[in-house]
Amino acid sequence: MLKKIIICPECKSKMTVEGNTGEIKIVTCPSCGTKGQFTFQIEQKTIDKSMSADIIKVKNLVKKYYDLKAVNGVSFSIRQGEIFGFLGPNGAGKTTTIKSILGLIHANSGQITIKDIDIKKDIKKAHRYIGYLPEKVAFYDNLTALQNMYFYAEMKNAPKNQCQKLINDMGLGDVVNKKVGKFSKGMQQRLGMAQALLGDPPILILDEPSGGLDPRGVALIRNKIKEMKDKGSSIFVSSHILGEVQAICDRVGIINKGILVAEDTVDNLRGKLNLKPKLVIELEKVTDDIIKAIKSSEGVENVDVIGVMVHVTCNPRAKSKIILSVEKAGGNILNIQTMDPSLEEVFLKFTEG
Amino acid sequence: MDFKIDFKSIYILAKKELMDNIRNKWVIILTIIFTALTLLASYAGSMYSTGWQDLTATIGTMNLFAQYLISVIALILGYSTIIGEIESGSMNSLLSLPIKRYEVLLGKLLGLGSILAISILIGFGFAGIIIGFNVENVNFSEYFIFILASILMGLIFLSIGILISTTLKRRTSAMGTAIFVWFLFAIIWLFIVTAIIIASNAQLLDVNNQGSTPNVEITLPEVYYISEFCNPLSSYSEFINQNIGAIDSSEYSQYITPPPGYINSNSMLISMIIWFIAPLGLAFWRFEKREI
Repeated sequence: MLKKIIICPECKSKMTVEGNTGEIKIVTCPSCGTKGQFTFQIEQKTIDKSMSADIIKVKNLVKKYYDLKAVNGVSFSIRQGEIFGFLGPNGAGKTTTIKSILGLIHANSGQITIKDIDIKKDIKKAHRYIGYLPEKVAFYDNLTALQNMYFYAEMKNAPKNQCQKLINDMGLGDVVNKKVGKFSKGMQQRLGMAQALLGDPPILILDEPSGGLDPRGVALIRNKIKEMKDKGSSIFVSSHILGEVQAICDRVGIINKGILVAEDTVDNLRGKLNLKPKLVIELEKVTDDIIKAIKSSEGVENVDVIGVMVHVTCNPRAKSKIILSVEKAGGNILNIQTMDPSLEEVFLKFTEG
Repeated sequence: MDFKIDFKSIYILAKKELMDNIRNKWVIILTIIFTALTLLASYAGSMYSTGWQDLTATIGTMNLFAQYLISVIALILGYSTIIGEIESGSMNSLLSLPIKRYEVLLGKLLGLGSILAISILIGFGFAGIIIGFNVENVNFSEYFIFILASILMGLIFLSIGILISTTLKRRTSAMGTAIFVWFLFAIIWLFIVTAIIIASNAQLLDVNNQGSTPNVEITLPEVYYISEFCNPLSSYSEFINQNIGAIDSSEYSQYITPPPGYINSNSMLISMIIWFIAPLGLAFWRFEKREI
């Protein structure tokens, strides 16, 4: 039986209503006699209201090293089930932000919550939800890959039988009983990813996950990230490989000189920057007349010629006019493609200067 | 802050530390030296006798070796345990696990302390068994006290090593500091104490004034006895002296006037416990503040 205090909308007097979850009660105000109905919300709704959809919230984070502000008032959030790419040039404050989220370094000010847990109040509880792959992966050299994994599994209270499976998934099945001290950087990185995935954490924090990996390793990690997203995990990825980020991330945050300069989807960021798509025309033969015709077309901003490929930066509405002008100038078009501005262009725009 | 202790995490970490460090080549080498020296001390411990000495005499000779060797092993285990993991990068992963920083230190203390205790038990225990077979009327209880006190002394230097490891910014500077600490307590301290005795004009009285007969009485200054609290090795040595009778082999020891009342077994034990807890407390505080 639930007990609720409600306020009469007419006379504002308080009254108590009793009922069960989901029950609708007809209520009469004892003061003014106004009738109305009251629904006892089902429990799930109550929880949903109190819980936030943002799984990681960073608010006004400031971290100073002497006079240098490595992170200066950074605020962003990572939503339930999304892949969030965190980008920035070297020394922009990416790792400082990640280490602050994990409590490895102590922020000067600001608030960080993980699943609504303030990390200053209960970092240990917050860590139960996190799988972390650090930028500089390191293990205990005297222990084998499996012994290292067993240690992390025990600490995370993850099932031990997951260790062998994850090691196999990351392509390290042949070296499972080899001491980690003899592993290459790439092998350690793969084992680091396996370690981060132990216990299927609802939050994955990956700092440069592709560092030191060959293309096969990069593909393995990319697939694992997608697999974890499908399982409902929220993933925070910091990376230099922009193509990689563009391929997998739902939203990105760009940090430059300690300040978060952008946080949105790549499409929305393109829109904000007013970046134009590129029209790529493949011709049988490129002549001066054709280039002159393209340049004089309305809405054309820039023309680059690479062999028989002509890259035209233009207003999207100008495409048909450009094609017409090429044909008028005697050009034989073999292929036409439209290319959206890459994340690299977006990144460079936001971090220039 | 909530100071609940999760014993399971501490045990898991201690087990990992034991597995990771048990094959530390320096610990193995020093344990072998330890055993060999104990046997040697028992067999050839006295200039005036040949053959096996009993355990009490062996302790007398081993007292100094134990001070040097155990403190070295403990500092080797302790100095790199935190800074080594910070420099290699494994501390990032360790501290992202559901474990509090003070639990990390307790786990490391338990794991490394176990290695130290195993090393001491092997070193002294093995020698003790061999001596037991070769000597009659062995006083095992004194030997047991000696082993326990040696483990406590090892834990003191482990605690100092961990403090060095949580405080210094580089592994190499931590190693340098550990070497300095060892030299200070094991070597330089003797010079300091000697200087104190000379400076305080320790009295050497010829009691009977009988010429060449060495019938003298040496009165050591108060500051000498106070200094025994200031060095964990001195506290350990005095504790052994207090508990295991007549082991001081110094030619003049019988002429030294008895120490003041506050120099006793209990005060030395308390001194050692403080030497264990204080650096560890500082290490907890330093590690909580430390940026990884």
